[in-house]
Amino acid sequence: MRWNRRRLLGGVVLTAWASLFWFVLLTGRTGLYLSTRTAWLIPTGAVILAFAAAGRLASCRSAEPPPIRRIDLRGAVLLVVPVVVLLALPASSLGTFALGRRPVFGVGGTAPTGGISTGTLSMVDIARAQATKQDLAALQQRAGETVVMDGFVATQPGEPSGEFFLSRFIITCCVADATETQVRVVDVPAGSAQANAWVQVTGRIYPLGSQVIIDATGVKPIPRPENPYLTG
Amino acid sequence: MNLRRKPAAIEGAIEGATRPGPGTRPAGANALVVATVLLLSLAFMLRFGQPERISWIQNFFIVFGAILLEAIPFVLIGAVASALIEVFVPPGAFERIGRLPTVLQLPCAAIAGMAFPICECGSVPVARRLLRRGLAPGAAVTFMLAAPILNPIVIASTIVAYHGRPDFWVVVLGRFTLGFMVAVAVGWVIGARRPEDVLRKGTTDLDADDHPPEESRWSQFAGHIAGDFIFMGRFLVVGVAVAAAIQTALPQTLVAKVADLPILSILVMMALAFVLSLCSESDAFVAASFTQFGPAAQLAFLVTGPMIDIKLSALYAGTYSKGFLRAVLITAAAIILAGTLWVAVIWG
Repeated sequence: MRWNRRRLLGGVVLTAWASLFWFVLLTGRTGLYLSTRTAWLIPTGAVILAFAAAGRLASCRSAEPPPIRRIDLRGAVLLVVPVVVLLALPASSLGTFALGRRPVFGVGGTAPTGGISTGTLSMVDIARAQATKQDLAALQQRAGETVVMDGFVATQPGEPSGEFFLSRFIITCCVADATETQVRVVDVPAGSAQANAWVQVTGRIYPLGSQVIIDATGVKPIPRPENPYLTG
Repeated sequence: MNLRRKPAAIEGAIEGATRPGPGTRPAGANALVVATVLLLSLAFMLRFGQPERISWIQNFFIVFGAILLEAIPFVLIGAVASALIEVFVPPGAFERIGRLPTVLQLPCAAIAGMAFPICECGSVPVARRLLRRGLAPGAAVTFMLAAPILNPIVIASTIVAYHGRPDFWVVVLGRFTLGFMVAVAVGWVIGARRPEDVLRKGTTDLDADDHPPEESRWSQFAGHIAGDFIFMGRFLVVGVAVAAAIQTALPQTLVAKVADLPILSILVMMALAFVLSLCSESDAFVAASFTQFGPAAQLAFLVTGPMIDIKLSALYAGTYSKGFLRAVLITAAAIILAGTLWVAVIWG
């Protein structure tokens, strides 16, 4: 029995992928890529990959091992490149570049409509109100209430100073299906909001037509949340 | 819309990486060293070059990583199912199904897809294994196309996404019915081919060398999972990279400009489903967000995506023989277009 290098190479590729999934899981980066609804995929992938890698490495000795071909090596490199990329890049989330390139949140999602009438308002509620008349009517009943909302700052050319759009992406499964939602924030204290920075806005909410406005009483910088995307 | 060009380009790119020839020669120690140095250089460049400061690069890598991290576990679940079939299902079990008349075989295969609640990335390795184990090509392909669109999770997600909308029944029933029809029709077209002409010849599976029967079943089982993952993974990486690049370069808001044009809106939504390469379990929420488009165009998006998209094209090109991708694209696109045009005529 001798070392089967081709199996060994397969084992290395699987180990690399298993490492990536465990890394994403243990460093809490799942929320940077997947929604809370699909977060179970990361531990599932980590376990299956670890099992397959262990199985492959455990059977790395065989009677007549074939050599590693160039094509095997090319395939292995192609498969390891994404692992290297995702491990090496610092954690980040979609920002202002993606705004305007993504569809605006439409209807759908699992949050019951009644959620807007009572309880704490969220950016998902705002998105739903901007999508359907029924939800907008529910939000209008709460005009003038004080809300606290987190998001990142987006500004548009020619916008008056003291205003910005508080923005979030809403995802269903992963970032690829992200849709955007924005709320205009007015009366912002000078210098309290930098583009792309994460902030927490406190203020009174006013639905005006199809637009929703927050009259800010406070804007403070916050670190990016562990789950920067909302689940729709 | 030119549905044939991009898949052909993908086919060509993958062809180069998998064609038997110089690549089948043994790799020397130098090649291993060069590959390792290249990967380490890439890691160093990404870590310290701060490419994420450039917005579009950051956007590309986030979308690329997200689609891969979502798709890979489904490929693995498919690989587990595939390995179970290979190791634990007795030889000849599927040949009996293949002896059923075609009129029964294809609808049965489509309905069997309802019991397989995973998305499209997982159904490809299972269909590949079913073909290898003797299932008729038409039935295997029908199953592969039907599973991602007819399974209960996808139906449930479509119901949730369209709940309360006036076009609820058109979209939900339309997706189920048209998906079923397209899967059976493509299976019928592919069924005319001989089984040995369907799978790609000369594919070089890193683990195809050996699973000798004297090894334990569990060792073979782990080996087949590894083999399927490594085989499918390469094509998936290429497809996902292209899809992420297009998602980064193409503002989706552009498509809204054709929403009022009857036939063009359907074609554009089919093209959008093709390039976005979304998971079939989430695409209903994205389709529902395109409120400018009518139910016919949204339905076209919902039926096209789970059957033909960029990442799937890469998987098909790597798994099946030359011409398979073209046959699936043309047949599926023609039936989806015809079906959704009828929806547009009747329901607007």
